[in-house]
Amino acid sequence: MTIVTAYLLAGLALFLIGLHGLLTLQSMLRRIMAVNLMGSGVFLVLTALAARLPETDPVLHALVVTGLVVSISATALALRLHGALERHREDG
Amino acid sequence: MNPALSSMALPLLAGLLLLLAGPGLMRRWGGTLTLIVSVASGLAAWMALQSTLDSSRQEALLGGWEEGLAIRLELTALSALLLLFTALIHGLVALYAQFSRHGVSHAYWPLSCLLHGTLAALWLSGDLFNLYVTLELLGLVSVALLTQSGPRAWRPALNYLVLSLAASLCYLLGVAILYGQYGLLDIELLSGVTENDAVTRLALVLMTGGLMLKAAMWPLHGWLPAAHASAPTAVSALLSALVVKGPLFILWRLWSEVAPADLAIQAGPLFAAAGIAALIGGGYASLRSPYIKTLVAYSTVAQMGYAMMALGLLLFWQHPQMHVALWLFVIAHGLAKASLFMAAGEIQHTVGTTRISGLRGATQTAPIAMFAFAVAGGSLIGLPPSGGFLSKWVLLGPLLNDPWNWPWAAGVFLGTLVSAAYVFRAVIMAFDRVHIKRVNLNPDHTAQWLAMLPALLVWAMALSGNWLVQWLAGGGI
Amino acid sequence: MNPLQWGALLPLLIMLSSLIPGLLIFAIRENQQTLRTSLNLGGATIKLLLVGLMLWGVSQGQEFRFELPFLERAPLVLHGDALSLQFITLSAVLWLATTVYAIGYLEDSPLRARFFGYFSLCVSATVGVALAGNLVTFLLFYELLTLATFPLVVHRGTPEAIRAGRVYLIYTLAGGTVLLMGIALLHSLYGTPDFTPGGYLGDFSGDGSLALRVAFLAMIAGLGVKAALVPLHSWLPRAMVAPAPVSALLHAVAVVKAGAFGIIRVVYDVYGVTTATQLSLTPVLLVLACITIIYGSLRALQQTDLKKRLAYSTVSQVSYITLGVALAGPLAAVGGVVHLIHQGLMKITLFFCAGIFAETLGIHSIRELSGVGRRMPWTMAAFTVGGLGMIGIPPLAGFISKWYLGVGALEVGQDWILLVLLSSGLLNAAYFLPVIYRGWFGKPDREHWKRRIWPGQRLETHWMLLVPAVFTALLAVLSGLFAASPASPLSWTELIIVTEFDP
Repeated sequence: MTIVTAYLLAGLALFLIGLHGLLTLQSMLRRIMAVNLMGSGVFLVLTALAARLPETDPVLHALVVTGLVVSISATALALRLHGALERHREDG
Repeated sequence: MNPALSSMALPLLAGLLLLLAGPGLMRRWGGTLTLIVSVASGLAAWMALQSTLDSSRQEALLGGWEEGLAIRLELTALSALLLLFTALIHGLVALYAQFSRHGVSHAYWPLSCLLHGTLAALWLSGDLFNLYVTLELLGLVSVALLTQSGPRAWRPALNYLVLSLAASLCYLLGVAILYGQYGLLDIELLSGVTENDAVTRLALVLMTGGLMLKAAMWPLHGWLPAAHASAPTAVSALLSALVVKGPLFILWRLWSEVAPADLAIQAGPLFAAAGIAALIGGGYASLRSPYIKTLVAYSTVAQMGYAMMALGLLLFWQHPQMHVALWLFVIAHGLAKASLFMAAGEIQHTVGTTRISGLRGATQTAPIAMFAFAVAGGSLIGLPPSGGFLSKWVLLGPLLNDPWNWPWAAGVFLGTLVSAAYVFRAVIMAFDRVHIKRVNLNPDHTAQWLAMLPALLVWAMALSGNWLVQWLAGGGI
Repeated sequence: MNPLQWGALLPLLIMLSSLIPGLLIFAIRENQQTLRTSLNLGGATIKLLLVGLMLWGVSQGQEFRFELPFLERAPLVLHGDALSLQFITLSAVLWLATTVYAIGYLEDSPLRARFFGYFSLCVSATVGVALAGNLVTFLLFYELLTLATFPLVVHRGTPEAIRAGRVYLIYTLAGGTVLLMGIALLHSLYGTPDFTPGGYLGDFSGDGSLALRVAFLAMIAGLGVKAALVPLHSWLPRAMVAPAPVSALLHAVAVVKAGAFGIIRVVYDVYGVTTATQLSLTPVLLVLACITIIYGSLRALQQTDLKKRLAYSTVSQVSYITLGVALAGPLAAVGGVVHLIHQGLMKITLFFCAGIFAETLGIHSIRELSGVGRRMPWTMAAFTVGGLGMIGIPPLAGFISKWYLGVGALEVGQDWILLVLLSSGLLNAAYFLPVIYRGWFGKPDREHWKRRIWPGQRLETHWMLLVPAVFTALLAVLSGLFAASPASPLSWTELIIVTEFDP
């Protein structure tokens, strides 16, 4: 049980670090990374919770997989937009 | 249940089909297909609404899994009404995008269809994780729509995307914590088992924060004006009229069903107070805004205050009339806001400036659009007999019943005055005859009348008020 | 009741007879003058005929009621009773006069389609206020009236007009919101039944008197804005920048009367005189009315601009209606309610004349009026009738109202009201007699007069301006002279008051 708690706390810590970064950082690229960090924290919490019972909880794994897909596509969109914005700034 | 499912599936399928079809076909058939789909989806929603009148609640478990594991879709009179509302607004905006000169690029059509389908899925979803997925999709589609107006919208769009992602993650963390505590995701199963302990409170705070940020509820509204004002007119209308209502719906379900009752009663006054702050703060910002579209965008922040107030007092008093008021606000605001953005877009184009000062003389340069602006604004103020009046009237009843509740009524009073101030700030200017700028005295009649259409509907809504109130009172809670 | 019966349709038709022409006028082009004029005059005539029909019906004891479902326990009701007929008859007659006047006044000026469109909407809203059968319906038309008159106030579009429009909106919208709060409060306690002679609150038992008092004060505050009760009056003199027909309509029929009429409804048909007195609410109203009467007259005395003086005189005179209501006795009530008509006839005449002076000779200030009677005897005669009537010289209409108010005050034992009436009469004389004297006997200053001659003009000014002024002046004389006849406003008012006090 202690190892689960440790992972849970680590996940929460990652989430909070990410949140702190989002609130304080100015650079857009860093903020995108901060959001990703928050995401990793949440997924860590979910995976840790899946191990809380003797039998692994498949529902949570399904959630993590779905969450990862959403997160990857969102990050891709954010990076594409950021790239376009940078290029536009260089041109203009 | 089948009509409701087709009301959701039709726009989703159409959106995917258009994406596969490629730009050429999108450009040629996108508008027509979108219009057909929104009409069909609206008809299906109407049938769904009729079916809820017999049996108040229907559900479907997707994928053949058993209860608790399967994705549960459920249909109530409220969700049917919201399906109809979504199809109506989508159709009205699509008409404007197709037939006015404020055309949109070809990518608008699949995206708006996906937006419609996602929202429909949101109204029907019955479990917290599925709601997360719809929420995230809604955010992504909105960002994609925002980028349609070119480079000037990219920065607000990116900002919106990042905040929206962070908000969804807050929500997801809350869902994870709730699942860790109770082992359930299904809202109906969760309601009744939750207890008022620290872990549940933490989860609810996280989810509430995320949802309030997404719905631009005061004090987490900072991103909205830039994003909504920089979008193309049709997109602004969709975002303000529909998208912010999604998170509000989840917030309502979360607090009225999942949250333990005693906690909800404690949280109610906080929501209501934040609502009053939104009404006054957002209204003041709108009053000071130098641009036409930011005026309208800030008014969304202010008007969400009414919804928050209704939600808060619903939780606080558990008074069913507040539930009716809440959803009447959502519908009235959606129609009025769509009209306001379309009118604002048309006026901007006619007078050739985005600044408020461009409204001088607008009763002569763009008379019908300006009239639509004033008529829709009248509903925001709550002048009788508009939809805004209807919802305010329903809200006021319980507030005035008991002298101890009168301070809340004073909040509504102040909110009304502030909204009157920002709406008429624009309208008064339009009657100025001295400083007419003759930039382009060639207003688009189609656009003006299409902007007028939702405004007329919101006034007509008051006359069908009896049915709406009955539907909402019957199957909502 | 079968909704297709003519008894149910007539109130709706009276409403539509100005609403439909109004909407059509918006739709037609600026230069289609003949069509616009025929729509205007046609609508006004049809309305007058329909009102005549309803008058006849009501005097035969017929019911006129039209109902639509609207809010819970508060349907939309249009109902023609004796009191509403008093107000509609006034607005139908004066609308016809004002339409003729406005067509003459605005000849060749821009944006006439917009003007006449809102003008018709404004009259429709007034008729709605008059026909409203319950408080919610009243509120609806009261707010629509605000919206329809605003474009008329700012019609000229000058910075001054825009400023006046802003002040007008701030006052009226805030007033409307307060009124809404009061009506919603009362609705949460009693629902919204139809207006009932003698009130529908029933026998007042003493519970919830706080809510009833607050609701009353909120409603009076909301109505007091339009009725220009001090200290809610300052929008009215500013609104004088509007074109003369608009001022005439605002002052005589539409806006201030809607406020005063609402006060009559709230006191008589919602609370009932007995309940309002039991709650000690009528004395509040009485004091407000007296302050307004004296203050308005004093301010009128200070004005050098003719229209401004007339505006403050309106502030003072409209409060006679409130005074009559607040005295809570039948005779005073007759005086107050009949003043609704009498003040309307006299004040519209005065504003018509002021507009004629301004349009024909460019006269705005009272000083420039010297000797105008020799150049324009008909107009000056009409003005004199209006002014003397306001002072209360017998046998003009104003005398009748003041007589009943005075006798009514004695009847309920409020003798001090006579002092108010007397001082107000003296003040009225002090600000009207010098104007009249100057107009007839002053030395004309012909160089400062700007002459405007209309093509084909044979009278002293455009006939469409002069005829309405003379017509309304004549009505003011007749309703005073023949006050005792059964067709006079006075007799009709007595009929109303009998039902209110003896339901």
